Amino acid sequence: MSEVAAVRVKNLVKDFRGPFRGKKVHAVRDVSLKIAPGEVYGLIGPNGSGKSTTMKAVLGLVAPTSGSCAIFGKNSTKVDSRGEVGFLPENPYFYKHLTAAETVRFYGRLCGMRGRVLRDRIEEMLELVGLQEARDRRLKGFSKGMLQRIGLAQALVQDPRLVVLDEPTAGVDPKGSREIRDLILTLKERGITVFLCSHLLEQVQEICDRVGIIHGGVLVNEGRLDDLISLEDKTELILENASSVLMEQIRELVEVTHGVNLVSEGQARTTLESLFLRETQGASSQEGRRQRSGKSRKRIIR
Amino acid sequence: MSSPSSFFSPRRVLIIAQSTVTQLVRMKIFYFLAPVALLFLGLQFFDAIWFEGPEALMPEQELRMHKNICLGTMMLFTSLFAIVSTALLIPGDIEDRTLYTILCKPVPRLDYLAGKLLGVIVVLFIAMLVMDVLLVTTLHFRTEEKLLQTTEYMVKIGYPEREIAAGRAEIAAHGPTILLQFGVLSHFLKACVIAAVALLISTFSTSTLFTIATSVMIWIIGSFQSIARDGLFNDASFGEAPSWADKIVGTLISLVFPDFQLFEAISDAAARAEDVLYSDVGQLLGLSVVYVGIYVVLSWFVFSDKEF
Repeated sequence: MSEVAAVRVKNLVKDFRGPFRGKKVHAVRDVSLKIAPGEVYGLIGPNGSGKSTTMKAVLGLVAPTSGSCAIFGKNSTKVDSRGEVGFLPENPYFYKHLTAAETVRFYGRLCGMRGRVLRDRIEEMLELVGLQEARDRRLKGFSKGMLQRIGLAQALVQDPRLVVLDEPTAGVDPKGSREIRDLILTLKERGITVFLCSHLLEQVQEICDRVGIIHGGVLVNEGRLDDLISLEDKTELILENASSVLMEQIRELVEVTHGVNLVSEGQARTTLESLFLRETQGASSQEGRRQRSGKSRKRIIR
Repeated sequence: MSSPSSFFSPRRVLIIAQSTVTQLVRMKIFYFLAPVALLFLGLQFFDAIWFEGPEALMPEQELRMHKNICLGTMMLFTSLFAIVSTALLIPGDIEDRTLYTILCKPVPRLDYLAGKLLGVIVVLFIAMLVMDVLLVTTLHFRTEEKLLQTTEYMVKIGYPEREIAAGRAEIAAHGPTILLQFGVLSHFLKACVIAAVALLISTFSTSTLFTIATSVMIWIIGSFQSIARDGLFNDASFGEAPSWADKIVGTLISLVFPDFQLFEAISDAAARAEDVLYSDVGQLLGLSVVYVGIYVVLSWFVFSDKEF
């Protein structure tokens, strides 16, 4: 028997009507996708492309005009499908009158948790998102990044098998963003399925196994990330400590080889995010040392 | 981990109600009790000039006025509180997207609505209890004072013992009796029904302001609808007998809007220290449960298909 998909969206169509039976807007048109258990799936697309509507349909917050969504085989419009899901909305707001620990407790209790199991889970979640110090502080004093982290804690409190994240790093500084990314990778290691929407393509590229590109409500492309982004007729070669003599030899070799062109050649670059992290965190990590030594790296694309 | 029912779970309703109570308490809504307390205490020392001389009010009239002012204040505050607090909760959760995170947990929408309403009702009960304690305390001291003054006066004039006892009994009847508690209960029940109305409106309203304005309008219509109905459709002095259309309109109004005059009847009787039948109080309780039940079911009906 084949394994039940963590998320299955089948021919999803969602139309919205303006007030007073106004003009119909097609938000999602015949979208079908399947996310396997343990997979990290990224849904990307421009604003208004139907990402959030698809996500809301999966979570049962909007009802499909036609088609269906299922979570681990259970119809998304039914309440029992949500026992296995944790959701972090974009720019989450929680009850500001609650403390961090009370917030996680509230959501845990809604999932039927209680007693020692819940108490232990609260501590575990606060530790996971690095908010033990702020456990008794009310959320009204929390920064954007802290709210995002408490959002993750509440999403994970009942140990769901699927986590749905809508722009999880929106408005968070690069350090917080990196921490959230690391957390998603930890979830992946634990075998938790992640369904992610993000504008930050670099981030999606870094953590997702499969990606869907949605535009105008239509899923225009979908597949394994490696397959989607690799350029079949181009090869990239990054050399460390390459001498000018070696570089000249490579150029000559390329020149004499029939049908091969040297497209570009230059100094390998770090990303702005890596530079920012290195400058703000100090250059203590191995990653930092590796990046600094990148000064002597050469990059060649054939 | 226990898995509560996916249809309706009293435990989950209690969790949401508890959170609502915490939210309202931390919003410092009980601060509104301070002016009420001041008013009740101030009444204790208030003696209008017409309380003396030949036009002086009888002690029982004075006590009735004390009760009328206090019960009226309690009614006004609890009704407004029921509207404002309910109107703030659901639209607030939608605007903040807190609702997303709640409904994405295994929480049926009925549990959410029932929990929110129960939370408001618990806070209303606490507020009513505090005001009731204040009312009973101030009225007790005021009644004792009137009893003493009247007894001294009657003894001085030379009233017989039997008449003094009768006068004292009449004054005591206007003190803090079980009848007064029926009046307080009627205002509490009325506030619960108003909160349920506000809950229904907030399920389809797009703003807090609209919810508050519409709820206040229904409160006013509900308070006067029976008078208007009697005048327009039942009173023969208005001329012709009501047409079928008038009767249908009258019936529809009474079905759509709760009749708050029924609640006022008990409260007025309590203020006048007139006998109130236990069966009437029971009927009012039953009617309130029916009203709240209908509005919750209607709210659920609207909210269950709402998209966010």
